[in-house]
Amino acid sequence: MATERIAFLTQMVEVFTSTISFGERLNNMVHLLARHLKVDLALYFGLDKAKETLVLNLSSHGPVPPHMRLEFALGQGVVGEVAGTRKVKSVQRSQPGVLAANQALSKLHPAFATLAGFPVADDNFLYGVLLLVDRQERQLTPAERQNVHLATLMLAGTLRQALLQEEAKKRIAELSVLFEVGKALSATVELDDLLERVVTTTAKVITARGAALQIVDAVTKEVRVSSKYGKIPWACPSPTEILATAAPAEEMPHMQGQGTDAEGQTHHFLAVPLTFKGQLQGIICVYDKYAADGDYLPFDPENRQLLYTMAGLIVNAIENALTFKQVESLAERNERMVRSLTVLQVLSRALLTTVQEEHLLEIILQGLTLDQGLGFDRAVVLLVDEADQVLKGVKGAQSSVELKGLPLFEALLSPLAEKEKVEEWRIPLRADQGALAQTVLQKRPYHVKEPVRKGGLPPALPPEFAPSEFFVAPLLAKDRAIGAIMVDNQASGRPLEEEPLHALRMFSTQAGLVVENAHLYSTIEANNRELLLIRERMLESDRLAALSSLASGMAHEIRNPLVSIGGFARRIAKLVDEKSPLRGYVEVIQEEVTRLEKLLREILDFTGENLSFYGDHDLNKLLDDTLLLVQRDLEACHITVVKEFSSLPRLHCDDRQVKQVFYNLFQNACQAMQQGGILTIRTYPVEKEDGLYEAVAITDTGGGIPMEVLHNIFNPFFSTKDYGTGLGLAIAQRIVSRHYGQVEVNNELGKGVTFIVSLPVAKYCLVKEAGQVAALASTLKAPKGGG
Amino acid sequence: MKKILVADDEMSIRLLYSEELKEEGYEVYQAANGREALEIVDKVPLDLVILDIKMPEMDGIEALRQIKERQPELPVLLSTAYGEYRQDFATWASDEYLVKSSDLEDLKSAVKRYLKD
Repeated sequence: MATERIAFLTQMVEVFTSTISFGERLNNMVHLLARHLKVDLALYFGLDKAKETLVLNLSSHGPVPPHMRLEFALGQGVVGEVAGTRKVKSVQRSQPGVLAANQALSKLHPAFATLAGFPVADDNFLYGVLLLVDRQERQLTPAERQNVHLATLMLAGTLRQALLQEEAKKRIAELSVLFEVGKALSATVELDDLLERVVTTTAKVITARGAALQIVDAVTKEVRVSSKYGKIPWACPSPTEILATAAPAEEMPHMQGQGTDAEGQTHHFLAVPLTFKGQLQGIICVYDKYAADGDYLPFDPENRQLLYTMAGLIVNAIENALTFKQVESLAERNERMVRSLTVLQVLSRALLTTVQEEHLLEIILQGLTLDQGLGFDRAVVLLVDEADQVLKGVKGAQSSVELKGLPLFEALLSPLAEKEKVEEWRIPLRADQGALAQTVLQKRPYHVKEPVRKGGLPPALPPEFAPSEFFVAPLLAKDRAIGAIMVDNQASGRPLEEEPLHALRMFSTQAGLVVENAHLYSTIEANNRELLLIRERMLESDRLAALSSLASGMAHEIRNPLVSIGGFARRIAKLVDEKSPLRGYVEVIQEEVTRLEKLLREILDFTGENLSFYGDHDLNKLLDDTLLLVQRDLEACHITVVKEFSSLPRLHCDDRQVKQVFYNLFQNACQAMQQGGILTIRTYPVEKEDGLYEAVAITDTGGGIPMEVLHNIFNPFFSTKDYGTGLGLAIAQRIVSRHYGQVEVNNELGKGVTFIVSLPVAKYCLVKEAGQVAALASTLKAPKGGG
Repeated sequence: MKKILVADDEMSIRLLYSEELKEEGYEVYQAANGREALEIVDKVPLDLVILDIKMPEMDGIEALRQIKERQPELPVLLSTAYGEYRQDFATWASDEYLVKSSDLEDLKSAVKRYLKD
């Protein structure tokens, strides 16, 4: 017996450890057991997944044909009882109720007498029940029972191995699906492409009819991107909705459910959130699990688990793609920035080629409007008119296709193809005049996006100029805004991009300096031209002076003898008898002399008798010369002279007339200080509005001029003195005004009076024609009557 | 008989003026420069002086100034070959500024005007 038992167990172990399939192993074990115990039939009933039913899986008679299939509910028959109690049970057909409870077994063995059930289980899991069937009433020996027990343990072990293997296979399959998904997701960083892959792959892996995806902005909660695939019966729930759904604590948040569409078809959906670094990023939702027979099925927990796992992969991939997109757009921005800077660099180079304001403005406008430049549709340069306090349109340009092919540098130096008429723009520099005026006033750029509604456009602009958006930057030079540059994209309607505007902001300072320099240059040039003109005139007047002094010298030498000749001829004529032939001769002399005298007058008129008196003189020396003339008078009155002379440029004037002015003033001072005093003479340069002047201040200590006569002192023929013409101050004033200067009086009663004579240096005397001075001189009449 | 002084460095001019003025019934004194003229002014109670401007030793302008200083009421006529001395305000002190001409009518009528009575 013992040998037989050992042989049985050996065989069992061999089967248990063999490499044949689990089904074969179980079959063999059941078969061996039946043969060893010499029972008619050994059956194995497996517990189903729901753990409610025991289904016949194996029979020692070989495969179970479909019509022989049978099952017991838990607790039903011997099989059900054993599964329910996990205890061995043996019954006889003869026992009451046994046949009824186990009737189903009659199909397999109509004449069974004994039924013995053994649980097939390990420490914690019941796999099924082993049932032994025999036609005789029999009791198993303890050794037999032990053998059966060992057999059931081996069956359980095998079944557990099978289960584990199945589980492992499933996991491997799942992993390979995830691997495929990962591969698909990592194949691209293009966001659009990726989103499409995500929804299609998800739908396929879950075997869903449709899938939808939404990514939201973490801050604004706005939908950033979304993608769909297949049949979507209704929009997927919003990501926040899913979090609001109360899910069981042990489950990850999700939404699952069903609904009926308009056609009465029931649809199922499953949605899980996409989270990245704890932040809600979006949601992925699948619709209707696809069955092989075309049916619409709900999703099971395994689908949910898979979708979760996929969600992790998806969110990473999308985050990568979004980051990549950001990096890409940053790179693109950098590239545009570099391009703008390159444009500025070339533009700077072009601006160095000229100092002509006109040309500079054209280069600037080309740079702004060229396609290969900053590419604005239209650009206008405006400059501040300081005198009128307005911003004036100077030059404008529109983009043109004409110079498209040219290299930038060459194109910048080409003439403007499309000009914009802006010369009539005049915008008052007031805060209520819109962004253009404000740019200059505030010295900062303005980007006006809705100029019409917000009144960004100054009212002074023509109505046809109505951009929906424009940008204006100040032209700055040494902390002053000398103008503004305005750009817009009115023609094409494109929005203004950030990079060229940034470039323009940077450029406006340089442009301001360049324009200011050009302005200075043109001023210098104009001054230079004026100086050249003055030099020419001076040369001309020198030549004329030399010529006229020669001519007038000769004319004067001739005039005296002519007067004698003519005068005596007339006397002779009176003495000669009218009928004498001598009379005719004398008359010839008279007529010829008259003719010569007339000729002399004409010559003297032509040479301009007074021109030769104008020259460049040292004012201090003129004062010294005049002081010499009055020295005797000063000494007689015990007047001390204090001279405070500054070094001065030479003055273009008629020295004799100017000396006359000082002579008259010194005479007056003498008169005022008969009992002695101090005469202070001070010279100094004065910068006035219209140029440089030289001033002489002559101060006496004669007690000042009485108030009642002060207003009369410049009147001709007014005198408080006992003698003199009373013309002294009148003459002085006339001479000074003919030199385009001024006489001022500072009267300090009880102390003295100061006369200040200021005369302009060079320019004005020369620029205002010498002829004008002559004309003025001829209007002055010689005084009549004595004073 | 009214007394007139003619001062001119040109002898021919002095002669011409004296002849013409004597003919008009004046007593005429002559001087060849400003200094001589002043001497006569100081000695003789004159009614009128005719001064040339460009003269040696003392010119007519200085003579004019000194005469007017001494006898502000004595009429002084300037008779000169130079029109441009009109610009010199020192000449404004004279009573008449005449440019010399072979036709002495202007001179004579001016003299008449100052010596009417």
